[in-house]
Amino acid sequence: MAKITLDIFRFDEATDAVPHRDAVVVDVPETTTVLDALETAKAEIDGSISFRRSCRSAICGSCSMNINGITGLACKTPCNTVMDEKGVVVVDPMPNFQPMKDLVVHMDPFWDKYSRLKPYLQPADADSTHERERRVSPEDMKKLVDVANCIMCATCYALCPVVSVDPAFAGPAAIAYAYRFIEDVRDGQRKERIAQISEDYLWLCAHCYACSYCPKHVDPHDRIIDVKRASIKDRVLMNERGPRHALVVSKTIKQTGMLAETEVIQGTIGRFNVRGLLKVAPLGLRMAAKGKMPPPFVKPIPKVDEVRTIFEALEVPVS
Amino acid sequence: MVVIGGGLAGMRAAVEAAEGGADVAIISKMHPVRSHSGAAQGGINAALGNREEDSTTAHTFDTVKGSDYLADQDAAAAMCDDAPKQIIWLEHRGCIFSRLPDGRIAQRPFGGAGTPRTCYSADVTGLVILHTLWEQLERFGVKVYEEYFCTALAVDDGVGSGVVAYNMRNGDLELVTAKATIFATGGAGRMYLKTTNGYASTADGMGIAYKAGIPLMDMEFMQFHPTTLKENGVLMTEGARGEGAHLLNALGERFMFNYAPNKGELASRDVVSRAEWTEILAGRGIDGCVLLDMRHLGREKILERLPQIRELALDATGKDAIEEPIPILPGAHYTMGGIETDKWGATRVPGVYAAGECANVSVHGANRLGGNSLLETIVFGARSATHALDYIKKIGDVKPSEKTLANERDRVGALLARTGGTRAPALRRAMNETMSANTFIFRDDAGLAKAVDDVTLVRKQFDEDAYVMDKSKTFNTDLVGAMETDFLIDASLALAAGARARTESRGAQARTDYPERDDANWLKHTLAWRQPAGPPRLDYSRAVTITEFDPQVRTY
Ligand SMILES: Cc1cc2nc3c(=O)[nH]c(=O)nc-3n(C[C@H](O)[C@H](O)[C@H](O)COP(=O)(O)OP(=O)(O)OC[C@H]3O[C@@H](n4cnc5c(N)ncnc54)[C@H](O)[C@@H]3O)c2cc1C
Ligand code: SF4
Ligand code: SF4
Ligand code: FES
Repeated sequence: MAKITLDIFRFDEATDAVPHRDAVVVDVPETTTVLDALETAKAEIDGSISFRRSCRSAICGSCSMNINGITGLACKTPCNTVMDEKGVVVVDPMPNFQPMKDLVVHMDPFWDKYSRLKPYLQPADADSTHERERRVSPEDMKKLVDVANCIMCATCYALCPVVSVDPAFAGPAAIAYAYRFIEDVRDGQRKERIAQISEDYLWLCAHCYACSYCPKHVDPHDRIIDVKRASIKDRVLMNERGPRHALVVSKTIKQTGMLAETEVIQGTIGRFNVRGLLKVAPLGLRMAAKGKMPPPFVKPIPKVDEVRTIFEALEVPVS
Repeated sequence: MVVIGGGLAGMRAAVEAAEGGADVAIISKMHPVRSHSGAAQGGINAALGNREEDSTTAHTFDTVKGSDYLADQDAAAAMCDDAPKQIIWLEHRGCIFSRLPDGRIAQRPFGGAGTPRTCYSADVTGLVILHTLWEQLERFGVKVYEEYFCTALAVDDGVGSGVVAYNMRNGDLELVTAKATIFATGGAGRMYLKTTNGYASTADGMGIAYKAGIPLMDMEFMQFHPTTLKENGVLMTEGARGEGAHLLNALGERFMFNYAPNKGELASRDVVSRAEWTEILAGRGIDGCVLLDMRHLGREKILERLPQIRELALDATGKDAIEEPIPILPGAHYTMGGIETDKWGATRVPGVYAAGECANVSVHGANRLGGNSLLETIVFGARSATHALDYIKKIGDVKPSEKTLANERDRVGALLARTGGTRAPALRRAMNETMSANTFIFRDDAGLAKAVDDVTLVRKQFDEDAYVMDKSKTFNTDLVGAMETDFLIDASLALAAGARARTESRGAQARTDYPERDDANWLKHTLAWRQPAGPPRLDYSRAVTITEFDPQVRTY
């Protein structure tokens, strides 16, 4: 048994203007999960400590919270892996959400991101044409099973820096869910779905990898790449900035082995999009003033062929 | 129509009702995808015959035999006959089932089944079905009142007229009018200290219906699952044994063949749990456990088909199932008993239905087969809605009386007003301890009498002295937890009383003082009627329905 101090964020939206913190000491085995420590604190010390939980086995997605500054499932985090040398564990509600009470947050914006996907199978043919199940190969199903492990815990959403600056961004979990339908061979709305998720700012993802810290190994970041690739492969909304940017970046790197920034800007915004280019002109002028203006043309690096073989190996579509 | 509960049974009912044109809403104490159905790992049974020839009659027979002949055979047949259709229904709506090389749905062997009949998705079957049904709610725009806790059922002029629900976000109690109410609130594993059930499996629907005068049936039959982790009660799916895992005692023996010469590890759950417990009591256990050995399945198969349980075991025990056997023991898992219904999910009160684990239709009788309860949620979720759709067309408007709401306001008000007393977690612990000590795998009269007395005392303490510490109106889980404890106490008392009165051993109930099954006296259901104080009144007016299969000696 060990004495563990839970340093807890306390807040009640109905009565408190500002949050405060409580330190609660519980006597539990060191290997106890943060969730069980909270349960003990609630049962034995202070019944008003509030948090969500249900399965206590990392499958219901209820108990995500910020533990020592990192968001994760309380029921999957043993105290001894996070406490400091004094036995203190700091718990806060998930970031990127409005707190409701203590560790409980308002989840509605997260659920709305799913609703926007029309998250249900829309097959190309009528069910009645199949007396039995639709046939799907084990490999095609396997792809979906891996994302189906998502428990909608919002850990990734809470960790995402783009969500924190632009709440309209679909966020990693919803994009992974979109992938689940986009890659489902039974679904008939592939293009529409890609278009929808693109409109929900798919291309804003900054590829920071924060959401790779997914407790269920869904790796939403990799699914985001998959969806972006699908979007280019299927040529959906190719005139938007996202795909244009991705393509011109890879094009210049393939051609020169380097990022040709001037061309990237033109390519992303559009060479003939005068208004768009004028908008970035002040930035260009400021850069020029600081001597940071990128050169208009970039010469290929000596061993550019080697770079090109990387593209071929990865089968990155360029054009 | 209102459906209480957003697990598989509740969502299946709501989708059926919505497609049938009803104005339907779900009230759930959690977001639907948080429901404990999502924890189901192993699979769902249907005689699709994708791997070996199979028939719905064979499925019915296995179910009836598994039930130790306490299931109502007409209900069991209704379920097994409907199973293939319901699986195809789920598949057509996008459910992600694992596949055979030819693209059809894969099936795995499960305990007590004659053929590989269990459809699955790796070891996350419950989760994928839960998501499929939630997607259908989105599709049909079914309104979900999430984080509303149902506290009471309104019965006016003998018919169900709605419910009272507590809005967890702001502390309001609201009266909900409904011509038909379907309870789908899940199981009651939290009666016990160690259980595979999550925190939310607290007998709510059972307690609510019971308080409103509907009997609970066969509550004494609680399934103890053979393979749960000692550390936290978490389940290791039967799918592991279905895929070929062994059970070993301290001597390294595959002891199951001493108990079930033909089926070994794949005997029915009650048989396996008793065998394990017998081994442990005989000193052939290791730290109070036996071992679940998956090593010979190999890394690839474990990672492909059983990845979740490997990780759960690793998290809880530090042992990697690929390299080491996992210590396991039996734990409380499934509540066969529940709200008495007919084979359409209808209770004795018109307009009130129950489906899923909170109901007792009786398809599982004295012991449920693995893979049959996910099936039950789907089949009887749909059937109860079908019946209710018909019923609501026939009756006029209903109006729940304000009295029900006023009563609930008083009850909740009294709990919140008390400034001292015994907190619900302590009361629950006292109940859990006696239930675990006296109503576990092997039972006898003295122990059961003690359980009845102990829980009766807890009942009294709760009524007189229960104290809720949190007075907040926002997300008051201290209050909700106390109300859950209230329901659990009722369910526990019905269980202990029913077990004591049933002087035989059948399925999950093993009485050391009455070791034999007694078909002459006990081919009948236990109906428990709530009394204002003390144990329930027991009534045996409902006989078991036997159609095709005459009771036989049950061996595996
Ligand atoms: C770990 C585990 C593994 C399992 N594996 C399998 C398997 O492989 N195959 C199989 O066939 N069966 C399995 N089972 C059994 C099966 O999963 C359950 O019996 C089934 O999922 C129960 O579904 P349900 O819809 O009845 O209840 P649940 O899924 O428990 O849902 C209950 C719902 O009711 C709501 N609710 C409860 N009380 C209230 C209230 N007072 N007010 C409002 N809402 C309320 C909850 O919010 C929840 O939405 C397993 C069970 C467990 C615990
Ligand atoms: S992708 Fe992972 S982190 Fe994100 S919601 Fe799903 S399970 Fe949670
Ligand atoms: S990789 Fe993209 S989605 Fe994931 S956290 Fe970073 S910005 Fe957000
Ligand atoms: S309690 Fe279910 S994920 Fe943690």
